Amino acid sequence: MSVTDVEAPARRAAKPVRKPPRKPRPAPGSKRFSPLRVLGSTIVWLFTAGNVLVLYWLLTASFKTPVEIFTKPFDLPYQWFKNGKPFRNFIYAWNNAGFGDAVLTTVVLVGLATVVTVAVSAPCAYALTRLGVRGAGPMTNVVAIGMGVPFQTVIIPLFVVLSKIHLDNEYGLFVLYVALSIPFTVFLMTGFFRSLPDELEEAAALDGASPMRTFFSVMLPLTRGGMITALTLNAIGLWNETLLAIVFLKDQAHFTLSRALFTFYGAASYQSEYGGLIAGVAIVVLPMLVLYLVLARRIITGLTLGAGK
Amino acid sequence: MATVTTKSARPLKAGAHLQRKKRLFWPFAAPALALYLAFLVLPTIATVVLSFTSWAGAGDTPKPNGVTNYRQMVSSDSFQYAFGNTLIYVFLGGIGTFALAFLFTMVLRDMKGGKTVRAILFFPNIVAPVALGMFLGFVFKYQPGKQGLANYVMESLGADAAKFLAPSNVTGVVTASLIWASSGFYITILMAAVDRIPPYLYEDAELGGASPWQKFRNITLPMTWDVVGVAGVLWTINALKIFELVFVLAGPGTYAPPNQAWTLGIYVFDRTFGSNGTPDFGAACACAVAMIALVSVLVVLLRRLMRRDAIQF
Repeated sequence: MSVTDVEAPARRAAKPVRKPPRKPRPAPGSKRFSPLRVLGSTIVWLFTAGNVLVLYWLLTASFKTPVEIFTKPFDLPYQWFKNGKPFRNFIYAWNNAGFGDAVLTTVVLVGLATVVTVAVSAPCAYALTRLGVRGAGPMTNVVAIGMGVPFQTVIIPLFVVLSKIHLDNEYGLFVLYVALSIPFTVFLMTGFFRSLPDELEEAAALDGASPMRTFFSVMLPLTRGGMITALTLNAIGLWNETLLAIVFLKDQAHFTLSRALFTFYGAASYQSEYGGLIAGVAIVVLPMLVLYLVLARRIITGLTLGAGK
Repeated sequence: MATVTTKSARPLKAGAHLQRKKRLFWPFAAPALALYLAFLVLPTIATVVLSFTSWAGAGDTPKPNGVTNYRQMVSSDSFQYAFGNTLIYVFLGGIGTFALAFLFTMVLRDMKGGKTVRAILFFPNIVAPVALGMFLGFVFKYQPGKQGLANYVMESLGADAAKFLAPSNVTGVVTASLIWASSGFYITILMAAVDRIPPYLYEDAELGGASPWQKFRNITLPMTWDVVGVAGVLWTINALKIFELVFVLAGPGTYAPPNQAWTLGIYVFDRTFGSNGTPDFGAACACAVAMIALVSVLVVLLRRLMRRDAIQF
């Protein structure tokens, strides 16, 4: 897949080109047949092949008739192409599940929420890591604990209060998405700010930059990678978020994609409209797959920094 | 000499600057902290308070009723199933996921195309749990003549089709699905930690004739111990709040699946916003408190178990 193609030049650029020393020859006897290695490789390949097969199945099934889906799961789609309506399932899902409106709602809602989340979290992470304020460490921990709070715990009081002030709609959901993404984003960004060397800040200060300016023109641009990671991970998380959308969105015209798919599921499986249903799943999944393929390296470094430090 | 001058010069110069820097703290931190307080901390406290009241939901006023909610909840079938299933997902799913992740760290380190494999394995993690649940519903569908993928394969191999999603089997199927879907995430985290281990350690072990297991036991595991700990905490948090995947996979559609398939998350949802039966916000709050208590206990226990001096390298 293209992930390695993306990765290779970046790695080469990051490290000076130097031939690694020759790998030492293994000791006699260590290359002997190892059942663990054989078992491991077999499982790894089976697993990988399985995942590729899942993707293949999803893509082909979204172009198939229900009969083909169940009786020829591994064949290429045939019937809809023969009938001259190759995109019939997608058109059905689009028209009957209200995906047209949902795509617009989701893109605007998720886009705005991720940008605002990072805009609010980055200064907070900077303040918590680099301003030398006493108590910042414990405060960071308190925010990080928020990552462990299941949404189910806060959803009841929030629903009652927000519906009382008539915010049980996409505006309320926007505020919730921002607020509930903060613990993770602050945690991730503190990792990035902590990894920057002190000298940069000192140099900026010696050059006469105000702390505000130091942040906006020196420190913030340096965490660009971190911000992109935070944007991507939040975008994937919120794009896939369903629980809050089920609770807070009542008006079908303003459903998010995952919410629309959830509603479509009941109706479509009742009518045995499996082709349309899988096309719906594909509409939800494929944009994130593209985002992932483009930004895989960033996502992985971000996760490492978040979890490893 | 140079160090002496910088040492004596810095406090003078930095003192005033540090003051100006500290003044930035509240303007920078306040918006995020305020949102955190308003939308996470206060609602959590409210949930704890509400769990001691009898409250049918919107339109009704909460009336204090002591621990009645908890007493009724603990003795109810649906909660016992939900609690048991959640523990199964956390523990069995966790053991499976981490066993798989460890096995992969042993193999993937010196495998050709390891990076591509990792990227492919991560893929289920970017899929919406709702979509994943629907997909798995297709895989495990049992309907003669319209068999799902799993039964199709089993029938073409000559075996009998199985009712994977019958209430008595569904917990096992969800556990296996969970292991499949989430192992990629933990493989990614652990492999990134493994990549930071200096390669000479492995080369040295290879020269000594160490087996993959010995290398794992004596190099990989001790050197990645702190990352394993963090991954364990992440797993506990994520497995405990599992909701959409089970709801869609085990359920008939937009209303709750049979009691035997419930998780704590489904219990809260069903008692509040589910389209089945009358809402009981008090009971739902009690279950939400049980979730918080469980996650806290498990995370503290895990951290205590994993505590060990970090190895510097």
